[in-house]
Amino acid sequence: MNSFWFLNMGVVALVVFLSIYGLLTMKNLIKLFIAVEVLSKGLTLAWIVTGYAKNHLMTAQSVAITFIVVEVCVVATALALIVNIYRHTKSLDIGKLTKLRG
Amino acid sequence: MGQSMYIFLLVGFVGFAILAIFLRDLLKAAISLAFSSIFLAMIFFHMKAYYVGVFEISVVAGLITVLFIATIGLTKGQGDVKERKIPLVIFPLFFIAFLFLDVVIMNALKTQMAVLSGKPEVPHFPQVLWGFRTLDLVGQIGVIFAGVFAVLALFRKGGTHE
Repeated sequence: MNSFWFLNMGVVALVVFLSIYGLLTMKNLIKLFIAVEVLSKGLTLAWIVTGYAKNHLMTAQSVAITFIVVEVCVVATALALIVNIYRHTKSLDIGKLTKLRG
Repeated sequence: MGQSMYIFLLVGFVGFAILAIFLRDLLKAAISLAFSSIFLAMIFFHMKAYYVGVFEISVVAGLITVLFIATIGLTKGQGDVKERKIPLVIFPLFFIAFLFLDVVIMNALKTQMAVLSGKPEVPHFPQVLWGFRTLDLVGQIGVIFAGVFAVLALFRKGGTHE
């Protein structure tokens, strides 16, 4: 069980690294949000694997489901924001959002 | 399901996540994200986490992919954004270096950290969700309403500044 947990945590670390790399290097707003989604998948896996390893799978599942509901609301709001940004700037380039400076 | 099948699921999950981040075509990236979710759901099924597996397939792989595709359609895809090539070129080096560090650190921790243990939980999933975590459900309803009102506010016609 211990090596199973460490194997999965290794995968979680890899996915988190991947998403942070994407967040640091991409310029397209939608790609940035895809990277955030990948990060959330890694965290969900961490929850469920830890719950499975500690014999608290039901509690882990209920927390993960709450997290998924929050994730959907965040995605819907963020994508609506992205559409509005595109309508104003005609671009998805994060570099062109410097107009938002005070 | 054997161990090799489980490793295949993990590799599929990470592989599609890499594709989702680095594919230039946004539509293909969104579909890769959905496939990554499906592999993750199969991992959950392997761990007997059926409820969250079903949620992962229906909500994350289904609904969120539809939202992404709708947004890509509304913003006419890639637009004028040109991603730099250097991060993509040097990514394999970073990936291999991180993979090496990951394996070394996890192996070192495995021998040092105590074995995970915990008392088996008695109740079933409905008991946990409706009985022990009722406040979570209230919070979920609040978050859903907040999301709905946020989207309505963002798509409201006739702003005051116009």
